Amino acid sequence: MPLKSVERDPAALRRLVHTVLALCVLWPLFQAAQVRPAALFEAGNLSVIGNFLAAFLPPETGSEFLAYLGQATLQTLAIATAGMALACLLAIPLAYLASAAGRDRPTLNPIVRGLLTILRGIPELVWALVFVRVFGLGPAAGVLALGLTYGGMLAKVYAEILESTDPAPARALAHSGARRPLAILYGLIPQASKELASYTVYRWECAIRASVVMGFVGAGGLGQLMDQSMKMLNGGEAASILLTFLALVFAADALSGWLRRSLDAPVAARPSPWGWRSAGSAAVLLIAVLASFGLLDMDLLALFSAESASSMGQFIASFFPPDISADWLRSVAIGIWETLAISVVGTLLAAVLGLVFALAPLKPVNRFVLNLLRSVPELVWATITALAVGLGPFAGALALALHTTGVLGRLYGEALDNTPPAPAGALRLSGAARGLAFFYGTLPGAAPQLIAYTLYRWEMNIRMAAILGFVGAGGLGQLLYFELSLFHYAQACTVIIAMLLLSMGVDQTSAWLRRRMR
Amino acid sequence: MGFAMEGVGLTHANGTVALAGIALAARQGECIALIGPSGAGKTSLLSVLATALTPDQGSAQVLGTELRGLSAPVLRALRARIGTVHQAPPLPGRQRVVTSVLAGRLGQWPAWKALASLAYPMDIPGARAALAQVDLDDKLFARCDQLSGGQLQRAGIARVLYQQAALVLADEPVSALDPNLAQATVRLLIDDAAQRGATLVASLHAVDLALNCFARIVGIKGGRIAFDLPTDQVRQEHLQALYASEGQTPPTPQPQAPGPAAPATPAPLTLCR
Repeated sequence: MPLKSVERDPAALRRLVHTVLALCVLWPLFQAAQVRPAALFEAGNLSVIGNFLAAFLPPETGSEFLAYLGQATLQTLAIATAGMALACLLAIPLAYLASAAGRDRPTLNPIVRGLLTILRGIPELVWALVFVRVFGLGPAAGVLALGLTYGGMLAKVYAEILESTDPAPARALAHSGARRPLAILYGLIPQASKELASYTVYRWECAIRASVVMGFVGAGGLGQLMDQSMKMLNGGEAASILLTFLALVFAADALSGWLRRSLDAPVAARPSPWGWRSAGSAAVLLIAVLASFGLLDMDLLALFSAESASSMGQFIASFFPPDISADWLRSVAIGIWETLAISVVGTLLAAVLGLVFALAPLKPVNRFVLNLLRSVPELVWATITALAVGLGPFAGALALALHTTGVLGRLYGEALDNTPPAPAGALRLSGAARGLAFFYGTLPGAAPQLIAYTLYRWEMNIRMAAILGFVGAGGLGQLLYFELSLFHYAQACTVIIAMLLLSMGVDQTSAWLRRRMR
Repeated sequence: MGFAMEGVGLTHANGTVALAGIALAARQGECIALIGPSGAGKTSLLSVLATALTPDQGSAQVLGTELRGLSAPVLRALRARIGTVHQAPPLPGRQRVVTSVLAGRLGQWPAWKALASLAYPMDIPGARAALAQVDLDDKLFARCDQLSGGQLQRAGIARVLYQQAALVLADEPVSALDPNLAQATVRLLIDDAAQRGATLVASLHAVDLALNCFARIVGIKGGRIAFDLPTDQVRQEHLQALYASEGQTPPTPQPQAPGPAAPATPAPLTLCR
C-alpha cells in the first residue's frame, strides 16, 4: 500500500468552510442584537436594577392589593381555560380536515393547512393586540386570541399525531366499508388518545403562561396587574405578582403531570367506560369551562350579531391593502433582521447556559433554578432585562435566553440521561477525565437530540422575538406596537405579514438544518 | 506488576453473589483465558481488574497498585494503563472511527490535545496503524454507524491496541466474528501483548479458541475458580465439570452418559500452538 508522507483528514476542509460560514452569519447577527455584556455591569444600570430588586422585599401584602391579586389570578386561570375550550372546539374539525390520516390517498388539504399556518404563525399576543382594538380592554380579547393561535397549534399537532399512528386498523375498517370519521374513531383514536390528551393538557399549561403575557397588552389577568406595577416600578407589588405567578405555574405543572400520569391507569374490566375517576374528571372539566366563561362575563353570542360582524369586517378591511412603499419596506426589513438576531442570539446563549445547567452537579438546586427561569415568560423577563441593560434588542435576547435556558436545561438533562452510558463509562475506565469522556463518549450520542431540541426552540423563539418589542425590546414587535397605537393599520399589516413570513422561513431553515445534522 | 487477587468477593446490589473467594495472580506478560458458563462471573472478575467494580471482600492489586482507597488522580493514571475490550463495543454511532480509536489515549494525552483532536484528529498515522492491525484501515474516516457488528468489534480492539496498555482485559472480544477471523484476532491480541510485555486476560466463550491460543486456562463457575491450569494439563473432565448444568452436581464426570441438559461437549483437546 502506498503510504502518503503526511495524511490529512478528508473532512477537515468541509468543517473549516462550515465553521467560517457559520461565523460569517452569526457575527452580523450578534452585531444586530447589540450584544454588550458590559451593559450588565454599568454603574447606572446596576443601580436601577439593584434598587428595583431591593424594592422586591418585602412583597406587597396589603389586603386591598391581595384582593386584586386573587381576582387577577382567577381571571388568568379563566382566560386560559376558556381559551383552551375554544381552541379545542376549533382544532378538532380543522385537524380532521387537515390530516392525511384515514384517507386512501394522502392528499393534504392545502387550504386548511394554509389556514393553520396563518393561525399559528401570528403570535397570540398580536391577535390579542388586534382584538383589543375591536372588543376593547378586557379578557375577551385574550380568550379569542388564545383560541385562535392554540386552535391552530392543536389542530396541526392532532393531525400529525393521527398521521403517525399505525394506519392498519383504520385501513382495515375502511376496507370493510366504514366511513372515514368512524374509521378514525375506531381505528386510530384508541391508539392515539393518550398522546392527544397528554398534548392537550401540556398546552393548557402553556395557555396559563400565555394568558399572563397577554395581560401586558390589556387583556386582563395577572399580566395587566404586572404591567401596571412594573411601569410604576413598584417592586413590592411586582414581587407578590411574580410569586403568585410562580405558584400558579408550579401548580399547573404538577396538576398536568398528575393528569398525564393518570392516563397510564389500566382500563377497568367492565362494560361501561365510565368510572368514578373519568366521570369525576369530565364533571370537573365541564364545570371549570362553564365557570370560566361565567367569570369572564363574555357575551360570546354578541360576537355573532350582524353589528359586530360588520364592525369586525370594517376593522379587518382597514388593514388592506398593506403598505408596501419602499420606505416602509426598508424599516420592516430592518425589523426582520433585528428580530432574527434576537432569536438567534437568545437561543444560542440559552443553548450554552442550558448545557452548563444540564451538566452541573447539585441536581435539586438546578431543577429549582431551571423551573424558575422557565416559569417566568419571556415578556416578563424582558421588562426586567430592559431595566438591567436598557431598552433595545440586547434586552430582548437576554430575556429570550433566560426563559429558554429553563426549557433547554431541562430537555438537555433528560436527553443526556437517556444517552447510552457505555461509551463514556468505557473511556472513564481507560483513564479519561470526566469532561473528556463526556465530549468523546456522551456528546456524539446525544448531539442529534440536543440539536433537534435547540432548533425546535428556535422556531418558537422567532415568534417570541417578534413580539418582545411590545415592551421595548426592538425588532418587528416594536414597529407593530407603534403602528397599532397610531392606528396605522396598513403599516401594521405589512409587519404582521413579515412576522408570518419570517416564522415560516425559520421553520423551513430549521427543518433543513435538522435534516443536515442527522 | 501484573495483578494479584486474594480472597476477593463481590456481591451485587440485588444480593446475588458474583464472586467469592477468588485468588488469582498473573506475572507481567502472562496471557490467561477465562472460560466458564454464562453468568459464572467472568465479566465480574474482569470488572474488578478494570477497577470498574470494587470488591467488598479481599484485596486486589493491579499493576503494582493496591486498589483500595485510591485518590482520583492516581486511579486515573492507573486506568490509563489498563485497556479493556468490551463485549459490546462502546463506540458512539455518530463518531468517526478515527476519533473513536484515538480516544484510547484520552487518559494519556494532555487535555488541550484531547480537545484539539475533536476538531482535527491529532494522530492519524497512529490510528491508521492500529486499524491496519485489525484489517480495517480503509474505514479510518468512516462513521461508526456505517460499520457492521464485526467491524465495530474490531474497531474497539483497535482502540485498545492504540492505547498500548500494560494490562489488557478482553470480555468476549471476538463474539461477533466468524471462527477464522476470531482466531486471527485473538492471536493478534496475544502477539501484541507478548511484543510489549503486557499482561492479557481474555474471557472466551469458544473453549477451543482458548485451548488453541492460550498457555494458561482459568475455569470459573458460580463465582469461584474451578481450576487454574497450564493448557496441557486441562482434561476433558475439567471442562465437563465446568459446563455441567446445576442438575448434574455433584460433578462426577461420566463421559459415557452426558446429561441431556449439558451443552455440547467442548471440542476435543487439540494441542495448543
